[in-house]
Amino acid sequence: MDEPEIKAAVKTYILNEYLPGEDPAALTDTTELMTTGILDSIAVLKVVTFLESHFGITLEPHEAVVENLNTLSAIARLVMSKKA
Amino acid sequence: MRSPARDDISFAEIIQIVAGAQRWGVISENRIIPMNFELTPEQQTLQKAAIEFAGSELNSNVIERDARQIFSREGWQKCASFGVQGMPLPKEYGGRGAGPITTIAMMEGLGYGGSDQGLLFAINAHMWTCSIPLLKYGTPAQKEKYLPGLCDGRLIGANGASEPNAGSDIFSMQTRVTKDGSDYVLNGRKIFVTNAPVADLFVLYATVDPQLGAAGISGFVIEKGTAGLRTGERKDKMGLRTALMAEVVLENCRVPATALLGREGRGAEVFHYSMAWERACILATCLGTMRRQLERCINYARARTQFGQPIGKFQSVANRIVDMKLRYEAARLLIYKTGWLMQENKSADMDAAMAKLYVSESFVKSCLDAIQIHGGSGFMTELELEREMRDSVGSTLYSGTSEIQRNIIARGLRL
Ligand SMILES: Cc1cc2nc3c(=O)[nH]c(=O)nc-3n(C[C@H](O)[C@H](O)[C@H](O)COP(=O)(O)OP(=O)(O)OC[C@H]3O[C@@H](n4cnc5c(N)ncnc54)[C@H](O)[C@@H]3O)c2cc1C
Repeated sequence: MDEPEIKAAVKTYILNEYLPGEDPAALTDTTELMTTGILDSIAVLKVVTFLESHFGITLEPHEAVVENLNTLSAIARLVMSKKA
Repeated sequence: MRSPARDDISFAEIIQIVAGAQRWGVISENRIIPMNFELTPEQQTLQKAAIEFAGSELNSNVIERDARQIFSREGWQKCASFGVQGMPLPKEYGGRGAGPITTIAMMEGLGYGGSDQGLLFAINAHMWTCSIPLLKYGTPAQKEKYLPGLCDGRLIGANGASEPNAGSDIFSMQTRVTKDGSDYVLNGRKIFVTNAPVADLFVLYATVDPQLGAAGISGFVIEKGTAGLRTGERKDKMGLRTALMAEVVLENCRVPATALLGREGRGAEVFHYSMAWERACILATCLGTMRRQLERCINYARARTQFGQPIGKFQSVANRIVDMKLRYEAARLLIYKTGWLMQENKSADMDAAMAKLYVSESFVKSCLDAIQIHGGSGFMTELELEREMRDSVGSTLYSGTSEIQRNIIARGLRL
């Protein structure tokens, strides 16, 4: 799975779970997810669980941080590094 | 919901609407299936049995036990034998395997028939913050070991999340957990722990690093008597006095890896899950009490005469009772809708928050109304309305305060 595919899968998940009815175009690769409150602390954990089950990776507590999860781009980078 | 009324709707449009409704299953075989607000006959029977059980078995000496803060272990055991603690748990662990709606119906019955709100609150805390997270996140060995006792009354569960500096902002907790080989060592202090003085089993939360926030938290299930775990003095409190409360202090409390509840660093998820259940179900007993109070007030307003007529004939008294009725009916819809969402495995965070907020605040208002309607007698301990009022106030605080529920709802509305 390449970066655009990862981004697309995560984007669909976030749109369905946390932004239902929102214009998909409004969620870009650089939209801030954690710092703007789109994802609260529980939502972040749910995203982590989604990433683990969907991409078959394991994330440690210190990886569930803003640097890794604040944007679709950062999330895709994290997943790619885990799959490498 | 109907669309705004129009009188120019064409026959073709009606056909189209009916066809759409049939596709969505709203209309089948030309018959409109109404939304069903009734409990099933089985649920009604269970609720009636719960009312009778609570009325005959749980109401002795409540005034005295409230004054002296005495928890009824006997009442706890009777409830377990009736099936209360095990109602939502699977039969393989000794539970009844009931869904959320059936469980809510039973709890409403207990709150209607029973006046020991403290005992019912203690049972609620045990079910939603100990048994339910164990069922969802426990290992097979943990479930085998604890769930049968949590169902049959042998074990009392408690939950320690709140701390002196972490209440609403729960994920800022400071209680630390460090790893030592395969063991975990916990240090910190939990406050407001319902059931702590009588608990056999504690679900406790600690963080590997407070900087990590929610992602640093792990849940543990720890038995009473574990070295390093100590409960503090029993706390005196305004209401729910027959449910006991104390601090839990952890001083180098070493537990094996088998005590971890859920995955390391996923304790916030465990906590969130138990809160979702608690918010949805904990106020069902209060709902029952609201119904009982309403009926009591109607009877009193019909029987009590002043100025030569029943006080219910005075509009300001009648209006108060009308408001009680409205609150009860709206509260009931919110709670059962949340139960239905959970039964259907649909997201219920916002609905549970609405139910928690509305029912708790309505309960406090209705308790005050009930006292007012009974005049000076309502203020007297023997009528038990003043205790119900004291008991009600806690409901706006525990499981997240009213303000926090409003925040959850606002977030759900993406405000
Ligand atoms: C009867 C009872 C039983 C309990 N049982 C347990 C138990 O078994 N285990 C356990 O761990 N805890 C238990 N608690 C603790 C309970 O969960 C906390 O009291 C509650 O979460 C509030 O935390 P706090 O008391 O620290 O108040 P704080 O969080 O300090 O809040 C103080 C005030 O500020 C408001 N506030 C705080 N943050 C915000 C915000 N972001 N927006 C708007 N307003 C805000 C609050 O609503 C409140 O009015 C119990 C409490 C009660 C009353």
